[in-house]
Amino acid sequence: MATYLEFIQQNEERDGVRFSWNVWPSSRLEATRMVVPLACLLTPLKERPDLPPVQYEPVLCSRPTCKAVLNPLCQVDYRAKLWACNFCFQRNQFPPAYGGISEVNQPAELMPQFSTIEYMIQRGAQSPLIFLYVVDTCLEEDDLQALKESLQMSLSLLPPDALVGLITFGRMVQVHELSCEGISKSYVFRGTKDLTAKQIQDMLGLTKPAMPMQQARPVQPQEHPCASTRFLQPVHKIDMNLTDLLGELQRDPWPVTQGKRPLRSTGVALSIAVGLLEGTFPNTGARIMLFTGGPPTQGPGMVVGDELKIPIRSWHDIEKDNARFMKKATKHYEMLANRTAANGHCIDIYACALDQTGLLEMKCCANLTGGYMVMGDSFNTSLFKQTFQRIFTKDFNGDFRMAFGATLDIKTSRELKIAGAIGPCVSLNVKGPCVSENELGVGGTSQWKICGLDPTSTLGIYFEVVNQHNAPIPQGGRGAIQFVTHYQHSSTQRRIRVTTIARNWADVQSQLRHIEAAFDQEAAAVLMARLGVFRAESEEGPDVLRWLDRQLIRLCQKFGQYNKEDPTSFRLSDSFSLYPQTIAQWRKAGYQDMPEYENFKHLLQAPLDDAQEILQARFPMPRYINTEHGGSQARFLLSKVNPSQTHNNLYAWGQETGAPILTDDVSLQVFMDHLKKLAVSSAC
Amino acid sequence: MTRCPAGQAEVEMAELYVKPGNKERGWNDPPQLSYGLQTQASGHRRSLLTKRVGAPQDGSPRVPASETSPGPPPMGPPPPSSKAPRSPPVGSVPASGMEPTSFPVESEALMEDVLRPLEQALEDCRGHTRKQVCDDISRRLALLQEQWAGGKLSIPVKKRMAVLVQELSSHRWDAADDIHRSLMVDYVTEVSQWMVGVKRLIAEKRSLFSEEAANEEKSAATAENHTIPGFQQAP
Repeated sequence: MATYLEFIQQNEERDGVRFSWNVWPSSRLEATRMVVPLACLLTPLKERPDLPPVQYEPVLCSRPTCKAVLNPLCQVDYRAKLWACNFCFQRNQFPPAYGGISEVNQPAELMPQFSTIEYMIQRGAQSPLIFLYVVDTCLEEDDLQALKESLQMSLSLLPPDALVGLITFGRMVQVHELSCEGISKSYVFRGTKDLTAKQIQDMLGLTKPAMPMQQARPVQPQEHPCASTRFLQPVHKIDMNLTDLLGELQRDPWPVTQGKRPLRSTGVALSIAVGLLEGTFPNTGARIMLFTGGPPTQGPGMVVGDELKIPIRSWHDIEKDNARFMKKATKHYEMLANRTAANGHCIDIYACALDQTGLLEMKCCANLTGGYMVMGDSFNTSLFKQTFQRIFTKDFNGDFRMAFGATLDIKTSRELKIAGAIGPCVSLNVKGPCVSENELGVGGTSQWKICGLDPTSTLGIYFEVVNQHNAPIPQGGRGAIQFVTHYQHSSTQRRIRVTTIARNWADVQSQLRHIEAAFDQEAAAVLMARLGVFRAESEEGPDVLRWLDRQLIRLCQKFGQYNKEDPTSFRLSDSFSLYPQTIAQWRKAGYQDMPEYENFKHLLQAPLDDAQEILQARFPMPRYINTEHGGSQARFLLSKVNPSQTHNNLYAWGQETGAPILTDDVSLQVFMDHLKKLAVSSAC
Repeated sequence: MTRCPAGQAEVEMAELYVKPGNKERGWNDPPQLSYGLQTQASGHRRSLLTKRVGAPQDGSPRVPASETSPGPPPMGPPPPSSKAPRSPPVGSVPASGMEPTSFPVESEALMEDVLRPLEQALEDCRGHTRKQVCDDISRRLALLQEQWAGGKLSIPVKKRMAVLVQELSSHRWDAADDIHRSLMVDYVTEVSQWMVGVKRLIAEKRSLFSEEAANEEKSAATAENHTIPGFQQAP
């Protein structure tokens, strides 16, 4: 390995892990002085076409408080058929099936190249995937038609034995009974009144009748086919009828008078969907897919009333605590999201409208459950249609890339503790020796649940070095972390992905440059950004920005080379050179990475080919802007990369180049100048 | 005039297209890629153009470092750009018996060549599949015929249906299924009403076929046992 760049890349490709620091500071005190926390980005289901799963179950450490998985870092005594757990040092006997192992005949999980390995669980019933469509009918005619067609198309993309269901809503909420016979029935609910899970299940006839005394064993939902499967049927049985049912869907019949918004009962519709799945298929992979074309205007979860003259809450309203429905609505969706996550299901939101649809209040539904949130202008756009198609993309084995019901369990060697995780997950509240009292993100646990995930789902995981300053680390000592992800593969089979990594400890005083060289600035920027966004949920915006700026200045002071009070002398090594610029971009939420503007001048065709490559694979489908220098659309590119022309300085240029971008952000040059000044100042 | 169904390769090549997005309804709506283009397996190519460049520390804009300079284009055949004119399909020559045409657009699939095998397949399934399902499929095939005869179907749909029927007749179920999927993705407005019937027909034919194959194996096994004298039949 020539450089740390290669090391970083190889580790990412093999293990799906990127650490902010790849050489770890050996004491807690020194670690806090590094400014950027020791943390990693973990992609639990990183695509590994070269890694076929093994057909047996993992070997676990026998200590009840440990249960780490056998991995390449464990010491093995092949003669005595014993292995020593590298986390708790317990000596364990190999199971009988491993009787034939030796130095030259190692099981895969002991080989270093299998630092990441996947196991298949053979036992246990395999339950089918479930897709419950929740469809807003308060759409314009051609939008509804486009949505109907997309849903009909999706029936051809779903696996034949997946279960599918349909709930439509507008002023009322309709749960459609799917039958193969001629007449279609539905259960209608008022959109104004929320119901408990039990009430919903009772009204849909899902509650089991009182069992006779002699029935000792628990009854599975499948044993009552008439009850639970009336609303969720396998695609191969129901596709023709459901195609017709979808084709016949009409716009919500309730007339919308002048000056009014349509009455949209999104809150109750979602509540019924969650209750339906809770009562029929808890703890199995299911997606609730909500398709909506406007804000909820009625019932629990409403975001705005039906009077058009009262506008939907703006940022000013929110800042001044003047958003009338926001707290209650957010609470309603948070309750639903938490219940859904507890049931192991996930919620997607597909919102296509020109105006807002209340995603602020509903975002917890996607965030806590690992579902998708897609925003578009209309269902009749290629952005929505292709994004929706890509949900059902298959991998190299012909399986869906989506996975369900994952639990992530993390173990650390004793010098480290887990501070928390930031990503589409909920805490499972599992305490233990690895859990730190100082929380960053979702903390206080060493286990999280991710109900919906795919090969690009990534969590930020934050650690704390707990080793005391005066406790020496042995020469060449390494710290270790194990990530164990149990999940339901789209083939319905359960699998376990185990990744075990190690990194060297180093004394900061004597090896600062070594630690510096192993800094992954891209990973660090993303991890800090996630922290910033997480803090912004509960803190004021300006406070978060100030925190971010302070961190950046401290980092530059620690790792920069400069003469005091001389900004022009300031230099950062290459390992850090991108970080401030990236942070400058991250200061404004929503910035995305864009190619260097200069390339567009020199290479005309290559970027178009490049873009096509990206368009073919990216999820969700991005907006596509093809522009040229001076073109009207170029302003979007310029404002994101380097807003050198803003309303603050436009007239100083004395040129006419079209409308300036309304941003208070400064240009990168100004930002860097200020940063250097602050870093070298002894006052900071 | 000879009518010849387009060769499968030509149909497939012609269906790797890019259409513009709906700019009227969606701001900067991205282009629509055909099913064929989206399912093309693309290798993991690290594109040089998206490599980040550090900010100039001395204040002057600098030429990108060597690792970000424009290198050779990504390896592998470049996907067709939306601006480039569509090139004639390369690949296998159409099946024998056809007059070689440089561009197969002129030859149209014949309705009967598509409907008849489908109806035959349905007849084959009648003993094996529930009556209601058969009637439903039949209804949709009638709809297909009506739309075809009424000129409501576009040429690519007709061509792909011809290929689908060929695959179905050759018992290549996965290939037929994939074509039905590609039509649902690319031409849903035209085909959604009846295509689900074709999809079901493929599934029923496939299950009938494997049932028959299983039965044949069983009867062949018992027949073998009967011809060998003196041996007890396996329980």
